[in-house]
Amino acid sequence: MNEAESNPSSKRRRKAVGLSKPMLSGEYTAIRIPIPPASAMNRDRPISSLIKNQLLHIQHAESARLPKVKRVGVKLEDIHTEAEAAAYIEAVTRVLHPQGRKKPRRKPRS
Amino acid sequence: MPPGLDALKHIVVLMMENRSFDHMLGSLKAVNQQIDGVDGTQSNPDTQGNQVFVQPLAEFQSQLDPDPDHHFPAVDQQIFAGDQSATRVATMKGFVQSYFQQQQDVAHSHKIMYYFSADKLPVLTSLATNFAVFNRWFASIPGPTICNRAFAHYGTSFGQVGMSMFYPQGKSIYERLQDAGHTAKLYYFDQASSTMEVVNLLQHQPQLFGTYDQFIADCKSGTLSDYSFIEPNYTDHDNDEGEQLASDQHPDHNIQAGELYIASVYNAIVSNPALWASTALLVVYDEHGGIFDHVPPPACTPDGHSAGPADTQLNYTFNFDRLGVRVPAILISPWIPKGTVVGTDRVFEHASIPATVTSHFIGAYIARTPREQRAQTFLDLLSLDTMRTDTVVFNT
Repeated sequence: MNEAESNPSSKRRRKAVGLSKPMLSGEYTAIRIPIPPASAMNRDRPISSLIKNQLLHIQHAESARLPKVKRVGVKLEDIHTEAEAAAYIEAVTRVLHPQGRKKPRRKPRS
Repeated sequence: MPPGLDALKHIVVLMMENRSFDHMLGSLKAVNQQIDGVDGTQSNPDTQGNQVFVQPLAEFQSQLDPDPDHHFPAVDQQIFAGDQSATRVATMKGFVQSYFQQQQDVAHSHKIMYYFSADKLPVLTSLATNFAVFNRWFASIPGPTICNRAFAHYGTSFGQVGMSMFYPQGKSIYERLQDAGHTAKLYYFDQASSTMEVVNLLQHQPQLFGTYDQFIADCKSGTLSDYSFIEPNYTDHDNDEGEQLASDQHPDHNIQAGELYIASVYNAIVSNPALWASTALLVVYDEHGGIFDHVPPPACTPDGHSAGPADTQLNYTFNFDRLGVRVPAILISPWIPKGTVVGTDRVFEHASIPATVTSHFIGAYIARTPREQRAQTFLDLLSLDTMRTDTVVFNT
């Protein structure tokens, strides 16, 4: 078992992309693929021009669709990292598309 | 009608970010000479006048930082090597010089010529060699993400060559399908990643949108829409399930995370036998991201719009009469012969997506853009008389 596989956060990443072993009955070739190392994660990465533009679009949506009382009130010039961008994008998307909220996980049966 | 088309009930498109064909799949030329990849002889001059040859030295992360410029002026330089004359020819010789401008570092600029060896991309290369890989799928515009993704949704960018948000003047493929009594959904990864189609979110929520989790659930329950478009995760962030690596493969995001994402979408379909038999999955990249490819983009049907110097940031007006740089594209279905290579005589671009989806589910549709009218469709590749029983699956 390598470092990436033994790392609990790697297991979470694998689970997050839904990569479980398919249940197949026919003929198939299984191809093993590696999991990215934990060091791949960088919440503090400066945002790319793609994300800068997505922020502008999200801000436009926020001002066009949300009443002032529901607006997040973040200045885009204060957003520098991917985690900061994600937090703002999530806050606006939650209001614009509440159907996209993750469903609460079921409590395990006692 | 071929039995594969008879059986086809779902088309799924997964659009990744910012990688060129040669960078991701160019190595497959060594596996199959029909695949128009690289063999080590392709090169670009650097700013010192030295030839920089392609090499299989691409790494999963931390190599293309800063993000290579892929806005309209930079792509113009990459394709034409800085020549702005009326008689210029697309040489694909300006990539290294373009990348040099960002850091003024000669050694670093050479990395734009690096490509992945096949063993580093087990998902993408396995899918390419087991199903159909396109030798000539180009970005729709020699420019960045938003305008190129627009072609996948509308068959045009309505005159846009950049990243600006715009309100469309025509119906998206999703609206067309819904109007015709079909179902369509655009799945984004999660709320923290959201969508690049914010204008749709504004105008057509909520019925048009779902999340990646819902896609997986829809595959499992057999309730997938007729047409699905999937977006990757665009940022490293945390959600209720823990840390989420960006899976879009946009530089400088981790390539392996994108491989996992592609595998998970594919596995979700192949794990439901009824869905697998009735679905075609297209994996395609929106644009090349400033990374080297050796095939000059061809001229194309103008789409009735033009972008002036203020938009192109160059001293000419672009009439949407040339495609962008070539990108990876793979069509997956059990009705496709193993190892299909779509020849160099067939040119595809992102307008091929609404063209194909509309033709299959709706048929005749008058209000297509000029580009979409001329775009090649790809479902003829589902040509087998009987469905394949062999396939590949991915696990970690």
